[in-house]
Amino acid sequence: MRVMQKSRAKAGGDDAPPAIALPPPAVALYSASVDFGAVKALNQIDLRIEDGEFITILGPSGCGKSTLLRLISDLVPPSAGAMSIFGDSTEAARLARQFAFVFQSAALLPWRTAVQNVRLPLEMGKKMAKKQGRALPVSAQSPEELLEFVGLKGRENAWPHELSGGMQQRVAIARALICKPKLLLMDEPFGALDEMTRDHLNLQLLDIWKKTGVTIVFVTHSIPEAVLLAQKVVMMKSQPGAIKKIIPIDLPAKRKLEMRDTAKFNKYAAQLRKLLGAH
Amino acid sequence: MAHIAKTHRSTFMQIAIPLAVAAALIALWEGGVRFFQVPEYIAPAPSVVLQVFISDFDNLMRNFVPTLIESLLGFTVGTLSAVLIAVAFVHSRFMMEGFFPIAVFVNTIPILAIAPVLVLLFGPGLTAKVVIAALICFFPTLVNMVRGLQSPTPQMMELARILSASHSEIFWKIRFPSSIPFLFSALKIAATTCVIGAIVGEWVGANIGLGALILEATFNFRSPLLYATIFLSSGLSVALFTAVTLAEKWLVKWQN
Repeated sequence: MRVMQKSRAKAGGDDAPPAIALPPPAVALYSASVDFGAVKALNQIDLRIEDGEFITILGPSGCGKSTLLRLISDLVPPSAGAMSIFGDSTEAARLARQFAFVFQSAALLPWRTAVQNVRLPLEMGKKMAKKQGRALPVSAQSPEELLEFVGLKGRENAWPHELSGGMQQRVAIARALICKPKLLLMDEPFGALDEMTRDHLNLQLLDIWKKTGVTIVFVTHSIPEAVLLAQKVVMMKSQPGAIKKIIPIDLPAKRKLEMRDTAKFNKYAAQLRKLLGAH
Repeated sequence: MAHIAKTHRSTFMQIAIPLAVAAALIALWEGGVRFFQVPEYIAPAPSVVLQVFISDFDNLMRNFVPTLIESLLGFTVGTLSAVLIAVAFVHSRFMMEGFFPIAVFVNTIPILAIAPVLVLLFGPGLTAKVVIAALICFFPTLVNMVRGLQSPTPQMMELARILSASHSEIFWKIRFPSSIPFLFSALKIAATTCVIGAIVGEWVGANIGLGALILEATFNFRSPLLYATIFLSSGLSVALFTAVTLAEKWLVKWQN
């Protein structure tokens, strides 16, 4: 709600009628299902994510967390239901580069240096953009500035194999930001990293979220990570994949690592752990 | 700096160790032949082979050049057609399913068995030798190139999809670059086998070339000349292999 009010003020001012001034939600799913052959991967998902929110998705393995991200990003078609991204179809949102994706593996191209990897989205889809008669959206920050933004100044010309796992993932984040996305979809991006690196990148991601105003949907299997980052945790269950519960996280807006030691944080963590176990 | 010094030392050792072993083996050979007084036509001493290199230099070069040309042409034709067919295979399931078994079948025919057939088909001139050399280079390149073009990870392909990349963008920005290391391992194999192909072709029907010279020297019991020819042909393979390795070092900078 807090964020919604903020963006409403941005869009139309206080005197504008709320019904018109309300921007379309970043993501809206209406009874969306995904079937893989006879297997029901996702069953009737109803989900609304407001512009500017930070959502984490938590659930047991095989509950369709990744499938949900792939559904939103137009990689997997829905077998039933309806959906929209900023009021558009997922395909239109993809063509307009409304969203960017960060994978668990950084998925950097090994034959490109860090800065060349960041530049990749500007070199691909050019044909599509031309056919549609529009230019690809480009961040005001240059690829070099984006690398500096994620803390990789001086490593612009490093090959991916010369970078640590955490650094590679930061390059992937810079690459995701190059087209100024309004929605960032992240599929366990820090899952393979050690805890120290993960903590550091979590704080950095919160910083990016605050500075850019991007909406973030973040899949994780770590309960502390889910609570630390999110305004809302979407808890999923498996067989078939569905939303079990959505839990708003009412912690101070400026998140700090120390919060993990507070009673309130631990209450949320315990609640989520119980929900996970009760499956 | 210590790291760089260590790398330098290991490169030096990498060259020094095999050279020292080779020198020791040659010395052992020379000593053995002299000690046991082995007749020259059975096993000539390295020093005698070296003398032939000097005395028969013109003869060796006259036969070396045709083999070099056949090898290079065969290498180019064989690897280039393999790359093109690999591209077709990766883009068309029909092509892959229809033609890959045929490629496997052709590859299972021993080159010695098929060489006379090709000489009958293409005549005793240059063409048959180039075709044999190309054929022997073709299959390893095809297999490696298909693997290379299919080597991008699922995430890379999903990324391309999210970026709404066209087929040609996916090919030139992702598939082709990721196949380059695979291509070079194939080219290294082809660089050595193309010489074998050219020589086999010359055995079947030629009066010039290193293959022809090997036969001639064998039948005339000119063992020192035979050995010199063998060294020359393997020298050609090593030179082509080195050229490919250097090209790889120059082009593939992203691997350690």
